[in-house]
Amino acid sequence: MSARTTLARLTGARSDGHRARPTLALRRMSPASAGVDRASLHALATLLLLAQLPHVFHLPIWTSLLGGAVVGARLWAARRPDLLWLDRLLSSVSLTLLAVGAALAIRLHYGYFIGRDPCVAFLFLLVAAKFAEFRRPADATFLMCLAAFLLLTQYFYSQTLLAALVTLPAVLALGNALMVLRDPARAAPLDERLRLTGKLLVQGAPVAAILFVAFPRLPGPLWSLPEDGQAITGLSDSMAPGSIGELSRSDEVAFRVEFDAEAPPPAERYWRGPVLDRFDGRRWSARPVRAGARPAAAEGDATLDYSVMLQPHGRRWLFALELPASLPRGSNAPGASARPLATMTEDGQLLAPDPVTRVIRYRASSSLSAALDPGREPAAHQVALAGRNPRTVELARELRARHADDADLANALLERFNVRPYRYTLRPALLGDAPVDEFLFDTLEGFCEHYASAFVVALRAAGVPARVVTGYLGGEMNGDYMIVRQSDAHAWAEAWIDGAWRRYDPTGAVAPSRVESGLAAALPESAEVPAMARLAPGWLRGARLRWDRVNHAWQRLVVDFDDDSQAELLERLGLSRPALWQIAGATLLALGLWCAWVLGDPLGRLRRRDRRVRRPEEIAWQRLERGLARRGLARGIAETPGAWLERVARADPKAAAAVAAHGGRDVRFARPAPGP
Amino acid sequence: MPLGSDGVAEAGRMAGAAYGTAPATGAGARGARAPGGVRATGGRARLLQRAFRTRAEDALPLRVRHQRIYVLPTPRGLAFLVSLALMLVASVNYALSLGYALAFLLTGLFAATLLHTYRNLAGLELLAARPGTAFAGEPLPFELDLAERDGRARTGIRVAARDGTPATLSLGACGRDGVEVRVPTSRRGARPLGRLTLSSDWPLGLWRTWSYVHAPTEGLVWPAPETDPPALPVGGDGDGDGGRAAVEDGDVAGLRAYEIGDAPSRVAWKSAARGTGLRVRLFDARGTNAEVALDLEAAGTGSIEERVSRLAAWVLEAERRGVDYALELPELRLGPDRGEARRRVALDALARLGGSVS
Repeated sequence: MSARTTLARLTGARSDGHRARPTLALRRMSPASAGVDRASLHALATLLLLAQLPHVFHLPIWTSLLGGAVVGARLWAARRPDLLWLDRLLSSVSLTLLAVGAALAIRLHYGYFIGRDPCVAFLFLLVAAKFAEFRRPADATFLMCLAAFLLLTQYFYSQTLLAALVTLPAVLALGNALMVLRDPARAAPLDERLRLTGKLLVQGAPVAAILFVAFPRLPGPLWSLPEDGQAITGLSDSMAPGSIGELSRSDEVAFRVEFDAEAPPPAERYWRGPVLDRFDGRRWSARPVRAGARPAAAEGDATLDYSVMLQPHGRRWLFALELPASLPRGSNAPGASARPLATMTEDGQLLAPDPVTRVIRYRASSSLSAALDPGREPAAHQVALAGRNPRTVELARELRARHADDADLANALLERFNVRPYRYTLRPALLGDAPVDEFLFDTLEGFCEHYASAFVVALRAAGVPARVVTGYLGGEMNGDYMIVRQSDAHAWAEAWIDGAWRRYDPTGAVAPSRVESGLAAALPESAEVPAMARLAPGWLRGARLRWDRVNHAWQRLVVDFDDDSQAELLERLGLSRPALWQIAGATLLALGLWCAWVLGDPLGRLRRRDRRVRRPEEIAWQRLERGLARRGLARGIAETPGAWLERVARADPKAAAAVAAHGGRDVRFARPAPGP
Repeated sequence: MPLGSDGVAEAGRMAGAAYGTAPATGAGARGARAPGGVRATGGRARLLQRAFRTRAEDALPLRVRHQRIYVLPTPRGLAFLVSLALMLVASVNYALSLGYALAFLLTGLFAATLLHTYRNLAGLELLAARPGTAFAGEPLPFELDLAERDGRARTGIRVAARDGTPATLSLGACGRDGVEVRVPTSRRGARPLGRLTLSSDWPLGLWRTWSYVHAPTEGLVWPAPETDPPALPVGGDGDGDGGRAAVEDGDVAGLRAYEIGDAPSRVAWKSAARGTGLRVRLFDARGTNAEVALDLEAAGTGSIEERVSRLAAWVLEAERRGVDYALELPELRLGPDRGEARRRVALDALARLGGSVS
């Protein structure tokens, strides 16, 4: 124990900037558990744990546990210096081994090491190991820098308002740790430290805000690491019976939309996603697409302009209402990048050059005209049939015999769905080898993908080119924007009729309420509809919608603030191309004002012509005068201090009591008190 | 440029007057009229002086104003900056808006800390520097009076003399405190305090602010007493052997409280046995012609430093024994006396003894 106290004293002396040698000399023979005083250790441990906490949600569980355990072991070793085995466990050698082992384990777990996720996991463990090995105050600097960086890496995974709020305690802990480490022996009490850190942060906030808005945002990455595969919910590029039904059980947000004008009516909210036109008898999949199609120019129809905030879904496609009338762009700001964010394929999908791994925002416009694409002739594979569904082929032949016109044939099919006792359900019976036949003639129950699939197969059997389109149908208005959830996932059909691709939604023929009012309306009460897709307004649902509104505003104002928004903002301020002297002048002015604010009342000090040093009594008296003047009890010009204080006593006994408690009287002309 | 030592001295005088303190030391008062303080020796020299205060031209009391305050990041601050840069690069690469926000928030914290660090030192007042006493080879303490009058607390102010032991102090709002810095000494004579560095890295240790103050304060270093000097010379005959006996043969003039170092033979054991505590007999040496005459010429045959050193040892010995002593130096002659004041005068004289004497 005595060795430790000596050491703590030496460490304290070290912070005064000299006597480094004895510390080092002692370090060699000191137990690993010593070396740092407890105050620094606890301050750093708090910082580390707060920086590690947000990572627990995405890291493999063993990493989180190991990281936390190593930090805990170090704290325990400091408490129990007599545990030699623990001491040895925390030596630099074993911790180096731990780091190497962790690197190997992470490599095994992720399958690669040079990538964002494994590096974050390694950093997470490295910080913990460094803390366990931490002996010298100089290590603390490194440790704090690592912790600050670890704090940043959590934004790879989430940039919500919550993630930002979670950072704040860690930032406070960082300030606290810096304050403790400055002089561990004479650190101020905790509440004072936190108050001062808070004050520094508040005073630094304007600088941060201006930098955030004005710092040049560079588009595009400086370097790119291999993409990290993440399991994210969303549509996939293939559709088997049940896959969309599975997706409908999630009420995660797929994207949010802001319409420039009115939102389209619910039945028109078809958000086009991957188009599937290859069928293997059971599964629909997308053909390798060729991009480079031009959006159909709107023919006299008014187009609908909107912005989409797309959640990451790990795939390349972007969503647009019906058929896009223009390619999506970053923003409408003049001077913003004119390069479209995506290209369009022949079948009307929007494809980004890279998978969407972070929230992106784009502007799009759509035309809601009935004929979708008066362009391209369908290819041979769009009438191809696969699998063995003889009864369906037979049905198609019958219908073809009755209806020469393709449109009539399609309508007849829809009528069949409407008239026959088909059921719309999330839990259809399982289908065997001829899924379309079984669904159409035996089970008669299914979800949207069953109807779309059967409809397209039947049309193709009748010789009409057709394809399945997946995407979302619906969207809920929340304030001034629309939320589209995974539970709105939908599949419908398109058929080439009269020289254009036309949309048919067989689900609408079975369950019209699905189209009109969403999933929950079309399913019985007992169905497993996710909470946020339910119709019943509950307080929980209301609260979640409100929270979503806050998050949406956060996303739009803060997270999506990029080079385009910056250009737009400067444009709006009339500063699109400020001259160098303007920038310099504005910077100097802002800096001056900020310094004045932080340093406090320098104008008052400048106003005071005589630079005479005031006595403390004088300062106190002037403060008293100002304070009471704020309460409407200003001292009259001709009023003596005594008379004034009497008047104060009458008007505000409470204030007078406070004054009396401090021995209030005008001391300016009193004899100076003898020095201490 | 009307600023510089002139204006500062003026402000310092005003501050001293306003606080009702007289200039604490002669050195301080001298400093106000420091020779060469106003005489400029060229713009370059003046600039160097303003930057580094290599000449002792500052008058106390002195208010540390922004003209003489430096602020630079500490190594920890530099490391912090580097990690901020890394965070920014990562934010750019991954287009992390919140990453930018975090990096900028910490930048704001860093910037605000700069101003707080500066403010911690700015306006601090060095009222006086009082030299203590020391024998050559011992550290010489200087007591510095610092005051704070802007109504805000100052924390972790470090005061260091060049190559001396630094001291740290904190002042409450409108507080005033003394702090002692020690400078090493090697030989007797005047020892200037030298340039002081007031510094602080409060609150976060990311910035260090410092200011040089170079007042012409000097301390006087007494000669190091000879470690094993010959016995005191008694009378004036230089026959040291009789000294002890002569002194002890004097009449007992009174008793005083025992102090560490008093010879056991002089303790009044009889009175101690009566339970009055340890007392020491005082001898009336005056009456018995038992005074000690210390003379530089008679203090051995060594070099002047050795003789001065021996005289210093004898002064201490005589004081310890309570014997009057006279001191004869080439330019100074002190009659027989003893006591704290005499000891000081004698040692001061020995310290100042010019090197011209052979």
